[in-house]
Amino acid sequence: MIFVTGPLFAGKRDYIAHALHLTEEELSRCAVWDVQDLAAESDDLNALADRLCQYSVVIATEIGGGVVPVEEKQRRDREAAGRLACLLAQRADTVIRVCCGLPQFLKGTL
Amino acid sequence: MFTLVIGGAASGKSEYAETLVQRLEGRRVYLATMECTDEECESRIEKHRLRRAQQDYLTIERTARISAAPLPEGANVLLECLSNLLANEMFSPVGAGGKDLWKEILELRGRCLHLTVVTNEVFSGGADYSEETLDYLRLLSESNRQLAQVADRVVEVVAGLPVFLKGEELP
Repeated sequence: MIFVTGPLFAGKRDYIAHALHLTEEELSRCAVWDVQDLAAESDDLNALADRLCQYSVVIATEIGGGVVPVEEKQRRDREAAGRLACLLAQRADTVIRVCCGLPQFLKGTL
Repeated sequence: MFTLVIGGAASGKSEYAETLVQRLEGRRVYLATMECTDEECESRIEKHRLRRAQQDYLTIERTARISAAPLPEGANVLLECLSNLLANEMFSPVGAGGKDLWKEILELRGRCLHLTVVTNEVFSGGADYSEETLDYLRLLSESNRQLAQVADRVVEVVAGLPVFLKGEELP
């Protein structure tokens, strides 16, 4: 599994589709994105990470870089998103951070 | 040569960009983009001004329509910063909306010997913003990506240290 992370609107999907020579539609069949939102709804992040590993490409948006939110639900969601990213990175063969549309390989290669 | 420098608030991106410009040839020009509206930005501008005073820059203030900025021949330009400029283009009466900002920057590049553009990493704090702010983030990220694609060098500054996303450190 390839785990792609990076800031909001950084061009993560475009980058990985291009790198794997996939059209947008082909990517949508083998990839899942915005998994940070799934983390918020999950009560078992390990099981969620295992399930997401069935996809070839898993994409998350980094949301933990701001000030701690005042609202408790937002704090919990943000925490879950960060933990899920760690669990996915452990399971991934390749981890890529995309910033300004450019890749940084944090683990493995393509 | 065209370099894009990105970093979070107070990451040391300006200082890094300045050290880069010092190592390049050509007349040093500082393109300042901040619209000064209160004491806080006045003191911020003053801090940057003092630092540059020792570095022999020609300072040109230009808060919008950057591609038409007057430049000397063979200029080694430091533009600071794209996020300010986009905010002016989108929200100030002098602005033109900001959709073509990245194209304007490329026009500007054509008129410089070297261009170094500083931009902001403001995309890692979630998406819980007003639609207006999200529009701003979409346009800023598009500008960042378009410029990164054609840049010779893209540097993310973390705690004052450069991380090369594209290209290499100058010798």
